[in-house]
Amino acid sequence: MEKKSIKEIVLELEPEAEVRSEQPFTVWVPPYRIPLLAPRLRDDEALAFDFLVCMTGVDEGETLDVVYLLRSTRHGHEMVLRTGTSDRENPELPSVVEVWATANLNEREVYDFLGIRFINHPDMRRLFLRNDWVGYPLRKDYNADPAVNPVPLESEETVDVAPMYEAHVEGDNVDIEEKENVVFGDEEYVVNIGPQHPATHGVLRFRVQLDGEIVRKVDVNCGYIHRGIEKMTESLTYPQTLALTDRLDYLSAHQNRHALCMCIEEALGLEVSDRVKYIRTIMDELTRIASHLLFWSTFCMDLGALTAFFYGFRDREKILDMFEESCGGRLIMNYNTIGGVMQDISPNLAHRIKTFVKYLPPMLKEYHDVFTGNIIARQRMQGIGVLDYDAAVSNGVTGPSGRASGWSCDVRKKHPYGVYDRVEFDEVIRHDGDVWGRYMVRMDEILQSLRILEQLVDNIPQGEWQAKTKPVIKLPEGSWYRSVEASRGEFGVYIESRGEKYPYRMKFRSPGLPLISVVDPLARGGKIADLIAVGGSLDYVVPDIDR
Amino acid sequence: MNSFQRYITSFWSGLGSLLVGMKTTLKIFFRKKTTECYPENRATLVISDRYRGELVMPHDAENHHKCVACGLCEMNCPNGTIRIESEFVEDENGRKTKILRAYHYDLGSCIFCQLCVKGCPHGAIEFRNTFEHAVFTRSKLVKQLNHPGSSVVKKQ
Amino acid sequence: MFDFSVVTEWVDEGLRSWLPEGWVLPVEFFLIGLCLLVAYAIIALVLILYERKVCAAFQCRLGPNRVGPWGVTQSVADMLKMLTKELIKINHVDRFLFNLAPFIVIISSVLAFGCIPFAKGLEIIDFNVGVFFLLAVSSIGIVGVLLAGWSSNNKYSLIGAMRSGAQMISYELSIGLTILTMVVFSGSMQLSTIVESQAEGWFIFRAHVPAVIAFVIYLIAGTAETNRGPFDLPEADSELTAGYHTEYSGMHFGFFYLAEYLNMFVVASVAATLFLGGWMPLHIPGWDAFNAAMDWIPSIFWFIGKVAVLIFVIMWFKWTFPRLRIDQLLRLEWKYLLPINLLNLLLMVVVVVFGLHF
Repeated sequence: MEKKSIKEIVLELEPEAEVRSEQPFTVWVPPYRIPLLAPRLRDDEALAFDFLVCMTGVDEGETLDVVYLLRSTRHGHEMVLRTGTSDRENPELPSVVEVWATANLNEREVYDFLGIRFINHPDMRRLFLRNDWVGYPLRKDYNADPAVNPVPLESEETVDVAPMYEAHVEGDNVDIEEKENVVFGDEEYVVNIGPQHPATHGVLRFRVQLDGEIVRKVDVNCGYIHRGIEKMTESLTYPQTLALTDRLDYLSAHQNRHALCMCIEEALGLEVSDRVKYIRTIMDELTRIASHLLFWSTFCMDLGALTAFFYGFRDREKILDMFEESCGGRLIMNYNTIGGVMQDISPNLAHRIKTFVKYLPPMLKEYHDVFTGNIIARQRMQGIGVLDYDAAVSNGVTGPSGRASGWSCDVRKKHPYGVYDRVEFDEVIRHDGDVWGRYMVRMDEILQSLRILEQLVDNIPQGEWQAKTKPVIKLPEGSWYRSVEASRGEFGVYIESRGEKYPYRMKFRSPGLPLISVVDPLARGGKIADLIAVGGSLDYVVPDIDR
Repeated sequence: MNSFQRYITSFWSGLGSLLVGMKTTLKIFFRKKTTECYPENRATLVISDRYRGELVMPHDAENHHKCVACGLCEMNCPNGTIRIESEFVEDENGRKTKILRAYHYDLGSCIFCQLCVKGCPHGAIEFRNTFEHAVFTRSKLVKQLNHPGSSVVKKQ
Repeated sequence: MFDFSVVTEWVDEGLRSWLPEGWVLPVEFFLIGLCLLVAYAIIALVLILYERKVCAAFQCRLGPNRVGPWGVTQSVADMLKMLTKELIKINHVDRFLFNLAPFIVIISSVLAFGCIPFAKGLEIIDFNVGVFFLLAVSSIGIVGVLLAGWSSNNKYSLIGAMRSGAQMISYELSIGLTILTMVVFSGSMQLSTIVESQAEGWFIFRAHVPAVIAFVIYLIAGTAETNRGPFDLPEADSELTAGYHTEYSGMHFGFFYLAEYLNMFVVASVAATLFLGGWMPLHIPGWDAFNAAMDWIPSIFWFIGKVAVLIFVIMWFKWTFPRLRIDQLLRLEWKYLLPINLLNLLLMVVVVVFGLHF
């Protein structure tokens, strides 16, 4: 009933839509209809597709396509919207920034890698690559010869004007006018926070316009450690692609790999044993605790509480020891495989987890004594960088940061995977939306993760830890999207396969990109110190933004 | 009056929160320290068996390894870390067999994904939990895993 | 109790018998300056090690433990490293002011250091407005910080310097008022007199409530004066990388570094002198045996012990609290410390006028 109605409504709204598949419901719409259809999809009461989960550019050979995965936060249903252009010389598609704010950086990414210009996008600069980069890497006919793009010996000049393409429609005649938006004027006091800066948690660069101590505007420049993982995966076999997911958000290594494994398993129709599901869930939760502990440490350090930093690291070490014992790695665990896990868990793991579950709560109490309760810390957190519900959804800010804005977006609850449907835990939701809310959500999530671990650790069923797979894994033709709740938001994997042993297109929906897209609105009007607090509370990890 | 009251209470509660923090840090000041005194504690250091430090090729007492130079590990490696040099030799029955001449492994570019070990049909290679790999030049990280003069173990 | 003036007089007499009349004073000045600078350097090194060990203990670490037994020569090694480091020439800086700034900072802290009565008979600059002089010279440091921030031609440095200016000017007020409170009580601005008059009991006990309040405010404001955490906004490593000394390298950076520690020492010494009796042993009126026993401990140890405890407290602040934001910092001063301070001064006047003290 529900599913049919979506199809009906969409076809009613857009008669030219061409249904490509039913599950998931996919329609292809000609590009010029998008500016009309997109707002309707969002505003229609029955559809209410207010969340653009994942936006993927694909080079289909003849056409350059963009795939929008839409989800309704109210109804929970999903649909896929596709559009494309066959003009490879001058590809132009309409922008949906006005409808879904998260399209801002995503469209810039698509422009960067496929060369599709988005009409009416306010800022069509390249996002990751240098401005003088030749070619568009994710196109299939891209020339990867190092002679085309030699290693530059000079630093890139910062460009302060952003091109914008505006469409003027007069009857059937569409004029594209190129305009220039000024990012920073010549008179502005612009300070670089990054790329090498202690508070950016990696190689990220904020250009900050200051008025004394007050932040007026933040411009995010990323791409300093972009490794082209999505491009690399196109020439790797499926088992080989797994090794790269651990290197995206290295603090959610297990969860990222879990998502990719689930996506491939779904495509193969492979069922994993209960034991594997239990192990994966336990490892996911341990990763989450480790990540939140690290969040706590680095956040305290950003706020100048250097001692707290060491307490967090001291306790995270215990989780890393568990990983080392079972997985063989501490940071890059490399544990999930297609159909199971690399090796069975260590016999000590259960005991270690039980000890840890008892050990951590008193330590958390100390954390709260040292930092959370502190009047200085509280005043620096409360009421700072408020992200409201609508902005969170529109920007696609998932994970603890989204939940602090009152958005119930926990994939573990919404689309349970692993054994999350068999354990009791609460989705931590707060309605403050400020730095304090984001901080407290994470602190409370540690307790919930401990609760999950407590329930799982004694009940790991016997069974095999690796399902039988073919020696060469080929996915059938089609496209799949699976997501997990990674430590800092929804991490999704979108695979498009043409039936080969290499993926045709593999896209990672990183939770980090939406996070940095809200730094500007959150930090505006605050002090420099607030910018640092906002950045710390969003807890982005740069390799996850620069995939 | 109300704002004055708030002024006074916020002062005392703020001061209290600061004192709680100071009490906690002082408590930790006298607690046992967690620093690991490496390298003095080398003897007692626990590195779990599964820890992936480097790829090795175990040899038995007669200097035999199990590698038949099939090249699966080389194919499986996503990073081009393994390079196998092999040659064809005729055995006494006149049959040509492929034997391993040199197994080159570049520790510097290994991403420890375990696909080589998983893919090996003979269990000829494995990861070992050694971890002190610091060298002064990168070329020293390229290692030959088969020992000099070693040969593949004879099938019974 | 051992009086250090015995030593100084002996040296003076020795020199007078050895050297012609006109030479004695210059040689004495030179010797005093040398002793001062050597003491300055040694105290800075000891403090750096002390800080690193204390902070390590707060953070469940061992701290430096490789150079020498328990790492005691770590800061000596650091100093040697710093001395041999290159002073990097930076383009687009105001060279003269850039080079001048670290010297201003260090001169101000050396001058303030010279005022401190270390032990009985061991004080270098002692005259009737000693407290006033101390306040004046220690305020010169801010000029160096501002110059460093301005001349570096670096945006981080400039913001750091501006913050530093706002901070120091605000907290100077609190320092001045707390010291004034104690001057009202002691009735003298000469440091030696202030110490001598605490023979009957330290001011913090004798002037009870107002002295305790003044003491706490002095410690807070003193921490802010020295740009130490949680008031380290001018440096704010997670915001401004290193604030006003971002562009400095080698020994020029070293000067800022040493001055920071020495300023901490000066602040702690002044607190010890004004509130805890300086080098004066703990005396309780009526307990003669106890007082005699206390007198057995040399005055220099009393002084160092008090200063060490106070420095520990200042470090304890730094390694517990997060950094304040600039508006919190100013709010703390203008909305809390200053009004309390003024009321406290009034209270002290009442105490003195009506003789409500011990």
